[in-house]
Amino acid sequence: MIKTEILAKMSEAIVAGDRVAARALAEEAVRSGLDLLEVVEQGYVPGIQRVGELWEQGDYFLPELITSAEAMKSAMAALEPELNRTHAGTRMGGKVVIGTVEGDIHDIGKNLVASMLQAGGFEVFDLGADVKLERFIEKAEEVGAGMICLSALLTTTMMAQRRFIALLRDKGLRGKYKVLVGGAPASRTWAEEIGADGYAENAVAAVRLAKSLA
Amino acid sequence: MKPPLLDLVRGRTVLFDGAMGTELMARGLGAGTAPELWNVDRPEVVKEIHTAYFEAGADVVSTNSFGGTPLKLAAHGLEGRASELNRAAARLAREAAPGGRYVAGSMGPAGRVLQPQGPATVDELTAAYAAQARALSEGGVDVLIIETQYDLREALAALRGARSVTDLPVFVTMTFSRFPRGYFTIMGDPASRSAAELDRAGAAAVGANCSLTSEQMVGCVAALRTATALPVIAQANAGRPVAGAGGPIVYSQSLEDYVRFVPEIVRAGAGFVGGCCGTTPATIRAMARIIRGKEES
Repeated sequence: MIKTEILAKMSEAIVAGDRVAARALAEEAVRSGLDLLEVVEQGYVPGIQRVGELWEQGDYFLPELITSAEAMKSAMAALEPELNRTHAGTRMGGKVVIGTVEGDIHDIGKNLVASMLQAGGFEVFDLGADVKLERFIEKAEEVGAGMICLSALLTTTMMAQRRFIALLRDKGLRGKYKVLVGGAPASRTWAEEIGADGYAENAVAAVRLAKSLA
Repeated sequence: MKPPLLDLVRGRTVLFDGAMGTELMARGLGAGTAPELWNVDRPEVVKEIHTAYFEAGADVVSTNSFGGTPLKLAAHGLEGRASELNRAAARLAREAAPGGRYVAGSMGPAGRVLQPQGPATVDELTAAYAAQARALSEGGVDVLIIETQYDLREALAALRGARSVTDLPVFVTMTFSRFPRGYFTIMGDPASRSAAELDRAGAAAVGANCSLTSEQMVGCVAALRTATALPVIAQANAGRPVAGAGGPIVYSQSLEDYVRFVPEIVRAGAGFVGGCCGTTPATIRAMARIIRGKEES
């Protein structure tokens, strides 16, 4: 196969949510010594971007988004060891700590954002649901993350997003992290009001936002 | 002897209640506490909210058991108390109900994503809803209402589970958003197909709740109406939650704006109307005036 054909197939595998094909193509790329950065940027990333477009047009829904993100992760897992060896320090994204805030047990949306961020090249540390605010900071400090994402589904638990910003300020760490907020009741106005760095409407927009801030 | 709810709705528009969770929180329920726990720990508060909705003119109130499947309660470590908490939910609403009014046993999503996207199996969900439906029936509800479903497969599993343990009518509402091509759940289930499949699977009424504003609800009811001859339920949100400057959360639709669309929702074919997030007894009182005023004239 010529290279442009392989790159197109990689993109197609992601759009189709075909995990097996996405992984096999990645393994083939490693074996045949292709430039893996090019493989990611011109093969897989256009695929996941297309998925994002289809989602925003209302052609794709959660199941398609999840299977495509899984296919992307599977391909990235096959590429990463070699990618890290040959392109040390050129990771596309950065480190992100994510979780649903304390008092809130809803994690479906948060899981999807975590998954899409991972598919988008970020190294994601998912703390789960009902996470104590201090825990987000501890984890971010421990792994050297640059971004912290807080999810809340309820209007009451959303208040924890505000408290988190205050907590960061109290600790003198506000400037150290980008803080993104999400969840059904959150909004851009809310993010602005509490002094967060950003809000995204859905998982696809969250990846775009994270990339613009990383 | 009051007529069955399904007979009542043939003759006139029937009014459900509004939000429960925010009413509980306004009375001190802490974030992180399972609302169902208050059926046992603070029963007088739950009953007071039901009473407020009945006094506002609701024909039907929904029990405080939205998160009461054993699977959902497990997130709070309360799965072992599912039967007790659901029975108590039904009993409290029953006690609050004046003669001739109705109680719907509320069952919300189990909070687990089905295979292959998630770990849950259809059998697991069916069993969880069956357990909750049994307890709510034992507690004395008139009908069951499976609510806020975002995955048709889960809604059908819930319906099957409920119908396997009780002969009570089972209502199902799903939560749709407006997309360029129409009304869909986040899993991509179209409103019309959902209504048709739930109808075929034995639902007694089908509808839409949450997510949509009352304005958007008009079109969604019309879409549901084309797909089924069953009574249609419409319980819209009062817009989107908005944080006021440092103050409490308010919803983007004012009471006046919310109820302005009620006549259109009814004209589009809803037999049951009520509220969801952001609605209060004041909303229901205003809706009662609109619905009954219109019908009396």
